[in-house]
Amino acid sequence: MNEAYKKPVPEIQPWTEAFWKATKQHKLLIQVCQDCQAKIFYPKKACPECWSGNLGWVEASGKAIVDTFTVTEDMVEPCFWEDLPYVLAMVQLEEGVMMMSRIVECDPANVNIGMAVEVVFQDITDQCALPFFKPV
Amino acid sequence: MSKGIAIIGIGEVPTRIMPERSRWDIIYDVCMQAVKDAGIDKNDVEGVITVAPQAQPQLSAEISFGKLPEELGLKGCKDVCICNAGGASTSNCLRLAEQYIESGVAKIVLIPHVTVHSTLGVDDLINFFARAGIDMQWEYPFGTTYNGILAMMTRRYMHETGTTPEEMASVVVSLRKWATLDPNSLFFGKEPPSIETVLSSKMISSPLHKRECNMLADGGGALVVTSAELAPKITQTPAYKLGEGARFFSAFTTTRTEAVVGEGFKDATFEALEQAGLTKEEIDIWNIYLAYPVGHPMLMESIGLCERGEGAKMFREGHTWPGGKLPWATIGDAIGRGHTGSGVSMATYIETTRQLMGKAGARQVPDANYIFQNTSGGSGMNFIATVWGKELK
Repeated sequence: MNEAYKKPVPEIQPWTEAFWKATKQHKLLIQVCQDCQAKIFYPKKACPECWSGNLGWVEASGKAIVDTFTVTEDMVEPCFWEDLPYVLAMVQLEEGVMMMSRIVECDPANVNIGMAVEVVFQDITDQCALPFFKPV
Repeated sequence: MSKGIAIIGIGEVPTRIMPERSRWDIIYDVCMQAVKDAGIDKNDVEGVITVAPQAQPQLSAEISFGKLPEELGLKGCKDVCICNAGGASTSNCLRLAEQYIESGVAKIVLIPHVTVHSTLGVDDLINFFARAGIDMQWEYPFGTTYNGILAMMTRRYMHETGTTPEEMASVVVSLRKWATLDPNSLFFGKEPPSIETVLSSKMISSPLHKRECNMLADGGGALVVTSAELAPKITQTPAYKLGEGARFFSAFTTTRTEAVVGEGFKDATFEALEQAGLTKEEIDIWNIYLAYPVGHPMLMESIGLCERGEGAKMFREGHTWPGGKLPWATIGDAIGRGHTGSGVSMATYIETTRQLMGKAGARQVPDANYIFQNTSGGSGMNFIATVWGKELK
């Protein structure tokens, strides 16, 4: 928890509260439709495949592969200046869904497409932690 | 054939950094130019459909609530509205104009746009471009930017196709070769950068260098539109809309794949060509607006103008340059023109019309009879393909 967190926080919706609550326990959840079994990312109020409201969650293994990434070096909002340079990435979770995140705890020069990574949480507020990824 | 529309007049101020000009000052200029270019009286304008200016809420509100026809004294105006689909706004203004015309509400419609970025605060600008087309819950908290999104797409494309940084940089070189010939470009008369200059500019978001990103600028333009039936009675140089196709991909990068985008490029393009009764070989100019380099080779490959992985080589070999066999983005897209928010789509339609009217000066492509042009909105949410011609097919 960090009351002084000055960067943007996720704008949480009622149906995504469970996801963010789990991040506080350092668990990464994936929404699953109980009717058509679709894995849904990002979480929705109704299943984007079949419009069922019967939705649940499974805990992800946290393992992922870097699909693509960029080393952000300039032209960001002032609140992100202190983070520069940072690695923004798309990661493919083992369960098959793609999410945007950051690759942390490594030299940006060592990040590659196809690299194996695992989730690591950064606590930012009472409501949530951000799921980042670090090399395995 | 009586259905359809044609653009019969265009007006434009040069894209520049011009904080000294008010937005309404520019609106006057572009609207009066377009009406005069069409050779009509101001009171012949019966509908005004304005491209929603991004990040300028006061102007948006003024235009939404009818200030434009009043300010300009358009006494014959029967109705007015504003249309927002980001960078795809102008395409939708044209569709709405078609509806105004076919329903009989208006015989002639004016479509203006203005954006003045330079008087917005830098923080407001970054803030707007960080938030438009970027999800507030699943992307923004990670420090996502437009440059970052396109950088990630570029890296993936280069990885899959083996395209080199030099080849990617050559897309910028080609776009800037057109821009230097365009008096309305921010880069008019400026020597186009070499591949080396592009690659030695500051890295913003790898693999994108500064010169592979867009420079924000101020600008404005306007179109006068009427029915395909009336157009030849008003002007000798109408630009007829011959076909259209569109695909929506996704609002956000997180939920978009290159495969879906590539399929959409192809399907929308061939629907537009089929409606126009043309093959891709009959297109004289590909007037492409995708705002960053990577979309250009992707599109070229998706629609079969070259093999997969060969797109950027087409730019490097000069086929897309002025005088090349495949004239491509003759205002140089947003990279060559300067990025005017939703205005790049307007500038692209104006250029398409200008080429068909034979008024493109040093950029004029000889015997330009059929032009393919696209627009896209948000962070690449969609692809709207249209085909335009000097004559109805």
